[in-house]
Amino acid sequence: MSDLGWQRRRTSLNPSGSPISPWLHIDLALILSCLALGVTGVLMFYSATRGSDPTMYDKSFMSRHTLFLVVGTLLMLITSSIPYRRLRDLVPIVFWGSALLLLLVLTPLGVERNGTRAWFEFGQFQLQPSEFCKVAFIFALASYLERFNGYLNQKAIVNALFLAAIPLGLILLETDVGSALVFVAITMGMLLVAGAQTRHIFFMTVAGVLGIIVIWSTGLLQQYQRDRLTSFIDPASSQTEAAYQQTQAQIAIGSGGLRGQGFGEGQQTRGEFVPEQHTDFLFSVVGEEVGFIGAIAVLCLFGVVIWRVWRTAKKSADLLGTLICVGVLTMIVFQMFQSIGMTLGIMPITGIPLPFVSYGGSSSITSFVAVGLVLNVHMRRYEVVR
Amino acid sequence: MNRIRNIDRSRRLRLGILGAVAISLFIPLVARLWYLQILNETEFIERVQDNTTEEIIEKAPRGRILDISGRVLVDNRQSIVVTIDKEEMASLRSSKLDDLFFDLAKEISLSGKLTKVAQIEASYKSERYGPFAKVPVVSDISKELQVYLAEYSYKWPGVGTTVVTVRDYPYGTLAAHLLGYVGSLSEDEIGQVQNAEKTYLANDEIGKAGIELFYENALRGTPGRKTVIVDKFNNILDVVEEIPARAGSDVQLTIDIDLQAMAEDYLKEGLDTARQQPTKFEEEGVIIYKAPAGAMIVMNPQDGSVLAMASYPTYDPELFVSGISQSEFDDLIDPGNSLPLLNRVIQGTYPPGSTFKPFTAYAALDTGLIGSRGILGVNSMYLDEGIFTIPTCEGGTCQFQNAGGLPNGEVDLRLALTYSSDVYFYNLAAHFDILPGFDLESPQVAAEYFGFGSPSGITLANENGGRIPTPDSRREAYRQNPEAFLTDKWLTGDTLNTSIGQGDVLATPLQIANAYSALINGGTLFAPNIGLRTINPITGETEVAFQPRITRELYLPDPIISPIIDGLAGVTTWRRSDNGQEGTAYSAFLNFPHEDWPVSGKTGTSEKQSLEGLIADYALFVGWGPNPEPEYVAAVILEEAGFGGAVAAPIVRRYFEQVAYGIVPRHLSIEEADDLARQQAQELTDTSAEIEAIADTSSIGSGG
Repeated sequence: MSDLGWQRRRTSLNPSGSPISPWLHIDLALILSCLALGVTGVLMFYSATRGSDPTMYDKSFMSRHTLFLVVGTLLMLITSSIPYRRLRDLVPIVFWGSALLLLLVLTPLGVERNGTRAWFEFGQFQLQPSEFCKVAFIFALASYLERFNGYLNQKAIVNALFLAAIPLGLILLETDVGSALVFVAITMGMLLVAGAQTRHIFFMTVAGVLGIIVIWSTGLLQQYQRDRLTSFIDPASSQTEAAYQQTQAQIAIGSGGLRGQGFGEGQQTRGEFVPEQHTDFLFSVVGEEVGFIGAIAVLCLFGVVIWRVWRTAKKSADLLGTLICVGVLTMIVFQMFQSIGMTLGIMPITGIPLPFVSYGGSSSITSFVAVGLVLNVHMRRYEVVR
Repeated sequence: MNRIRNIDRSRRLRLGILGAVAISLFIPLVARLWYLQILNETEFIERVQDNTTEEIIEKAPRGRILDISGRVLVDNRQSIVVTIDKEEMASLRSSKLDDLFFDLAKEISLSGKLTKVAQIEASYKSERYGPFAKVPVVSDISKELQVYLAEYSYKWPGVGTTVVTVRDYPYGTLAAHLLGYVGSLSEDEIGQVQNAEKTYLANDEIGKAGIELFYENALRGTPGRKTVIVDKFNNILDVVEEIPARAGSDVQLTIDIDLQAMAEDYLKEGLDTARQQPTKFEEEGVIIYKAPAGAMIVMNPQDGSVLAMASYPTYDPELFVSGISQSEFDDLIDPGNSLPLLNRVIQGTYPPGSTFKPFTAYAALDTGLIGSRGILGVNSMYLDEGIFTIPTCEGGTCQFQNAGGLPNGEVDLRLALTYSSDVYFYNLAAHFDILPGFDLESPQVAAEYFGFGSPSGITLANENGGRIPTPDSRREAYRQNPEAFLTDKWLTGDTLNTSIGQGDVLATPLQIANAYSALINGGTLFAPNIGLRTINPITGETEVAFQPRITRELYLPDPIISPIIDGLAGVTTWRRSDNGQEGTAYSAFLNFPHEDWPVSGKTGTSEKQSLEGLIADYALFVGWGPNPEPEYVAAVILEEAGFGGAVAAPIVRRYFEQVAYGIVPRHLSIEEADDLARQQAQELTDTSAEIEAIADTSSIGSGG
């Protein structure tokens, strides 16, 4: 450990030194893609919230969104600067700490929004512990799975599932189905790469399906939550708010056509016909105002992010790095697919933010910190693993 | 080492799977984007427009109705209406609702507009409005109440106010029948106006009767149309297109409101006078002069324009403004109340009686029945013994009497008209029937030639065409209702009755006045006009001027027309000095300024069954002047009121007196009358103050 410390110090004191110096291997493509997505989000957020009268525009949310972007970027750089193998020492504290927050959010300390009790409120700012917990969980699971060196026996799987069950259970108690699904995706992805056996994967899939059936048939979900999950199948026949939301989102996106209505010109957006268009349904603004070309560009940016994370996973110096990247990868991919798919009407409404793009401090910061971890792995891919 | 390599390979494979899954997830997203944005773009653009584009219809004010000198007969005014929100009320408990209605009725009544709880309830429950409508319950509330209701809105859940434009009648009930009224579109009317140039909305007003109905197209404003972009909450973001509302055209009438007011007054007074006649006991039964109803029309015979049109009883058009209740409406169409809503001038049909004789005379002169080949010369005397027996009587009544049964002695055509000899005309009629070479339907042909038996074409809706009976129509009537007639055959007696405007002959007062117009203006039969022109409400310029409309020019050579005109001139002026025989309206026109303003006329007394089944005399009179080129023709009919010469002619005499002397009183609108009363009261106080002042000075003087 002391060797590593010395090495890091020497590197930062002498930048022109070793060719394996992490600062020579910053993944600029990844950083720029994430920032591009973040800026897109800010612009679209502006369009979604500016309303009818520009002089009356309340800039506070806009500046807050920009602030999150800046803070996220800074935290990303900070996260990437401390070697991830050192950060591993903090994992127990961070993981159990975030689990404690998840527990506390269920108490009256937390606040409820849209039927989900998932937030702490500090004045103007809200904190969503389930978001931060994603990173903590990825790191924790990676640390645990690393020690099996790529072959997971049954015991390891069971332990890993127990580890996953802690945040998953607490989040389900918040009735935040969307976030819970993200954890499921992360766990599955990481177990796959960490070396789970085919039969285990098969068994877990079956168990997962059964779990969904159990959750669905027990009274855990309110009727409106069920509506939100099923309305995408046939929105026209449904009179629910959820169906309305999805129908309006598709109208917005569809009317964008190839080139879009132009920035700030979307009538559907200006008229605020899509509920939550500035948060979870922000992609509808993208679709309406910048059209098919713009939407594909956003997807391409996500493509670059995913490619760079996947590449880092492949090139990582050790299994810990690979697993961290895999966790982040599955998180981003799942959230992107779910969030965009929801606005396009091919996925149910779950209230998952679009990483980097959607408004929301916890989500922005989490995404950037997660990418910071990936950068961390990328920068240190040539360092010798002891 | 081998195992590590295996694991390494497996990890690459697993990473590959993960990457493949990640990439594959992009496929549905791109496909869906393609489907929504490229394949279905148009559909979604339309749906965005449905969402965001809204049309706002702005109601346009209705045109006003003016009299010939430009005085406003129908205007618009603002009315504050209390509304209740059905949706909000539905959420209240019924006991709470009752309390609310009670309090509301009390509050409105206290503000000076008497309102019953039942009235509010009835409006609330009315089927007319949908479950989300704001139902108008009481209109014309005070500004103070409006402010109060708004201020304490928490006390009045679901109660609101709105301002609507309604019709205003500055002259009250005056000319109510001809002006008509407006009301909400009925189901039928919605269908009719669907393709109207000026868009109608479901609760729009439309003319229902009179001028309001006939000139609906001109009076109705063109609604404004505003296309706006709205947001989800219906806030207006942009105005795309705006077509401003255009007020409807004003319609100016040929009616003179002073002449109209005088006609209504005199008609009513005439009926009052008729009612004071003593009950008469005759062989046929008891005759009571109930005089419940009547009509009067004044026209200009030279161009067929209507100057005044009065129908009694009348109604208050204001009733229709604040929403008439069913029972109120039922009263207006109740025969027991003499159908106040009926415009008797154009809708009431009466046997014209003796006023029909000039047209029978025309038939006799025209066909030559009076003349060289006929039975009499124009100047030949015929002995009226008071009774006429049909020479070849085949059944039915064979003997016909003069009205009253008295003989008129020796009469030629002129005197027959002047004295109104029935027997003279029975003789003519009988010979139409029996004399070879003559047609028994000649009187009918002549009557129809003068416009009887079909609507005159006046510019008012729902005009009645009256009836001229013929053998054919008799057969048809018998076939439909055999019990009403003895036989389906047309008897000579029927021709006799027809010749003096009795039997089945029916005409509206308008038809009578219009036929006489043609008779006295040299032979032009007009379709009467009551609209003069439409006026652009902004510039005040004429849009459309309605020219006199000629139905046909009649064949009226002097040899035919002059004996008739002469005979009719005698009605008001002729008196034989030797035996005192006089024209039927001689005494009514005694001391009339005949030299300055020569008047002719024709009386009529017709029999028609009253509601109770009694035979009642309907009094008629048609008069015109100043001769020889009359500018006024007036027709009056009083139901169940007695003899035309006794009760109807005096009305026209008094009317023409005012016109002849040029002292038609100026009729004031309600507002003007109020001002005048206030002014007079003020003057009175001033005068009394003056008197007191004088009294004071004098007392001081006496004190000194």
